[in-house]
Amino acid sequence: MFERRLFFHIDYLMIIALGALCAVGVMMIYSTTSIGPNSTLYVKQLYAIAIGVVVFVVCLVIDYRTLAENSLMFYLAVVVLLAGVLLFGTTGGGARRWIPLPFFALQPSEFAKLCVALTLAKFFDESRRGSPSMTDLAVGGVITLVPFLLIAKEPDLGTAITVLTILLGISFLAGMRLRLLGILLILAIVAAPVAWRYALKDYQKSRISTFIDPEIDPRGAGYQQIQARISVGSGGPWGKGFTKGTQGQLRFLPVAWNDFVFSVYGEEQGFVGVVVALGLYLFVIVRALETARLAKDRLGAYLVMGILSAFTFQVMYNITMSAGLAPVKGLTLPLMSSGGSSIVATLAGFGLILNVRMRRFTN
Amino acid sequence: MLGLAPSDLSSVTVSEDRRKLVTRLTVLWYLVIVMFVALAMAFWYFQVVQYEKFREVAENNHQRTLGLRAPRGVMFDRHGKILVENRDSFVISVVREHSRDMDRTIRLLAQVVGLDEASVREVVRRHRGQPGYQPIPIVEDATLAQVAAVTAHRLDTELPEVVVERVPTRRYPTDAMAAHLFGYVGEVTEGQLTREGYRSGDVVGQAGFEKVYNKLLMGVDGARRVVVNSLGREIRTIDEVPPSEGRRVQLTIDYDVQRATEEGFKGFGYAGAAVVLDPRTGELLSYVSLPAYDPNTFAAGIDRATWSALNTDALKPLQDRAIQGRYSPGSTFKMAVAAAALEEGIITPDFTVHCTGSADFYGRLFHCWKLGGHGTMDLRHAIEQSCDVYFYTIGKMVGVDKINKWATALGLGVKSGIDLPNEVTGLVPSTEWKRTKLHENWYPGETISVAIGQGQVSVTPVSMAVYMAALANGGRRVTPHLVKAVDEGNGWKSVATPESAGTAPFKPETMAAIHDGLWMVVNAAGTGGSARMVGYDVSGKTGTAQVISLEGAKALKGRTDLDLRDNGWFVFFAPRDNPEIAGVVFTEHGEHGTNASLISRHILETYFAKKEGRPLPTFKPPPPPAPKPAVVVPTTGAGQ
Repeated sequence: MFERRLFFHIDYLMIIALGALCAVGVMMIYSTTSIGPNSTLYVKQLYAIAIGVVVFVVCLVIDYRTLAENSLMFYLAVVVLLAGVLLFGTTGGGARRWIPLPFFALQPSEFAKLCVALTLAKFFDESRRGSPSMTDLAVGGVITLVPFLLIAKEPDLGTAITVLTILLGISFLAGMRLRLLGILLILAIVAAPVAWRYALKDYQKSRISTFIDPEIDPRGAGYQQIQARISVGSGGPWGKGFTKGTQGQLRFLPVAWNDFVFSVYGEEQGFVGVVVALGLYLFVIVRALETARLAKDRLGAYLVMGILSAFTFQVMYNITMSAGLAPVKGLTLPLMSSGGSSIVATLAGFGLILNVRMRRFTN
Repeated sequence: MLGLAPSDLSSVTVSEDRRKLVTRLTVLWYLVIVMFVALAMAFWYFQVVQYEKFREVAENNHQRTLGLRAPRGVMFDRHGKILVENRDSFVISVVREHSRDMDRTIRLLAQVVGLDEASVREVVRRHRGQPGYQPIPIVEDATLAQVAAVTAHRLDTELPEVVVERVPTRRYPTDAMAAHLFGYVGEVTEGQLTREGYRSGDVVGQAGFEKVYNKLLMGVDGARRVVVNSLGREIRTIDEVPPSEGRRVQLTIDYDVQRATEEGFKGFGYAGAAVVLDPRTGELLSYVSLPAYDPNTFAAGIDRATWSALNTDALKPLQDRAIQGRYSPGSTFKMAVAAAALEEGIITPDFTVHCTGSADFYGRLFHCWKLGGHGTMDLRHAIEQSCDVYFYTIGKMVGVDKINKWATALGLGVKSGIDLPNEVTGLVPSTEWKRTKLHENWYPGETISVAIGQGQVSVTPVSMAVYMAALANGGRRVTPHLVKAVDEGNGWKSVATPESAGTAPFKPETMAAIHDGLWMVVNAAGTGGSARMVGYDVSGKTGTAQVISLEGAKALKGRTDLDLRDNGWFVFFAPRDNPEIAGVVFTEHGEHGTNASLISRHILETYFAKKEGRPLPTFKPPPPPAPKPAVVVPTTGAGQ
């Protein structure tokens, strides 16, 4: 299966960039948890990266076309797991997201992104050439909607929306009419107030419950947004130095090792560090876009696009939120935030992207 | 490597589809670049353009500057005994800046410390002008239970914006001793803030010695910068400027003499005032005004109820009678009249008057206090017996303006210059005074009342002490003062005695005659026998002043019998030759000078016992006398 010459087509630059981002992530997790009860979290992250590397290699070695053949199986498996989360999952931070396993907790929604990308890529590859018909889009929509609803029910709206971006990315690349895209956009704008009202109700509900029992949310979402911006701004051009940040170290930012890892990174490494990290992410994304272009077949291009859509959306949203410019949502920063499933699934995704690139000359 | 220009298309066949895909990828390529540039610009804006602002906010987030209140200078008595010192107390304050919902904070805090919510709100409102990072003291001198309750809630992260600080607080003697002398401290008022350059929240002297010498006693507050976490818990100290304590001050007061004076008053249950000093220098040995208040209640932040109770009390405990009370001197004024008559050459000490118990002046009958009369009296005996007719007679001969001149020379009717705030002046009338102030001519008949210290004459107790010191000194007036030495940080430095307020050129014969009379008052057949101390040649004079004549008949309404009883005086110095202690005891409604002279003797006994190393006496008030028959005094005559 693995031909020796493929070895020379592995995208080593991409691997270096990914490694650098993982290293920065581990450093920031170490820094943000050095005081307090989670001080060994970075070790966990290192284990997760090790597992991720293994999974990465597996995803690289097996031909993506073989994997796509079995996409339905993966898809069904992940849907079962997502349903399992709702039935047997463990709760953390008010949401049911994990399936407890002997040594770790599995977060199926992270892997759902990969399975959806694989399934949609296969589906749009097999559908007609040119631009996908409404029927195609409807089927693609159903494929997406099942995991979307299951994840949204956890609730994990951030990840659910991330799954939607996969459909959007692949169908765009598959030649979806721009007019249709425009209609979808208008629909989204029209639907926003309705969704907003719905969200506002939830928000008010949580405000009231917080008011009655401050333990649920002692410091509110608005507070996090303000503190995130203060963290970033106070980092200045050069940063406060590794483990010298005050906002993250003194817990003004909640879960700084997770959702707000980039805020603390901005605080400790300053604008210079931010530019370096943004550069690394940009390189990874652009390199993946190039991979989509270089892909031997449409399946490869769609697969890369699907994985990349989810990744890019999460990176953009999380970094925007880190600067206090977006509402606080529990979306991790891929490669940097602590979280085993996230790191393993992300590395697996890049394994697939490199898989496509590596096999661009094969038949 | 990053390029996606259509020109470097691969060797794959260019189909319609392929071109479309590449175009769309190129669009995405630009989109991603634009979004990343936008993100970088946002970070540039926050981290470079607005860096200073956010740096400051982050610093305020995790740094708190805690004021370290400087202990005020300790006050010692003239022998080094501690009079006023400091103790640690706890203050519970709110840092508004760290509260996200002041309403909730106030409600919760009021509940936790057991205070009325409205009053907490009022305190916060009063401090609305100060910066948000400055703690607003809600509970001064908190109890341990309150501190424990707040600490427990802080641990629960419920009240991170509430801080408990340990601050030095004034400790005054527990029994309100010398309260009017020490005064009290309190938080700086808004008026003082603008006038005197204090900082908001400073604790400054608000009355008495604390007020006059505030700059000396106050010290310089320190500060401690600490790092706190998001729960407001202190992580570590960044730096600390220790507070520097206020100057230690040694007062001229003698603790035991002060105590003896108050014991005397309390033995009788009298209100009143006493001022005892060293006539050679003006150093005050004892300074009393009663009733008093407990300055400790002010030190810990007085509550409104206590404050209004003090203000509305009919006995006026907040009034410092020694320097703010004006009273008729009664017979204690007679020495001034005698001095005027002798100095003006109108009489000699041998001039005699025959007292039949009353005499006619300007067509009106004036009575002597002794119904049957004293018989023939010379000046010395007239002082000894306090014969009113004698003084009516010489007063008429001298005239009010000459009396005014010599009484003023002895320190009456003018400020003493004591280093305590808000001293008032008494009044020794003159024809000019009546013309300018009342626009009336002086009636010669008024002089007759003035001659025995009644009528328009009024004095403050402190001016009577100066008067007695001047008589003891042969005419040299001293300025009463309270500071003996100050420790500027490098050992005690004596403070120069304030300049004498002047020496009147009294003839030695004048003083000799008056001294003889004063000695006879105590040691012969006079009215002040109660103050006699064998071997110490106490010289003094009693006085009784009618309240009714001063306050007027209108004041009768609503007054109890107690309020109408006469005021009693005893003025003294000792020993007769080379006096070293002089003073005045004024008992409000003390009926006559005898009880005042008993208090005076206790003061003198204590003073001399201490000086000679004997055990200090204890005060035993005499048993209350049998009710005496009411004596109706028809006119202004009074005094014993």
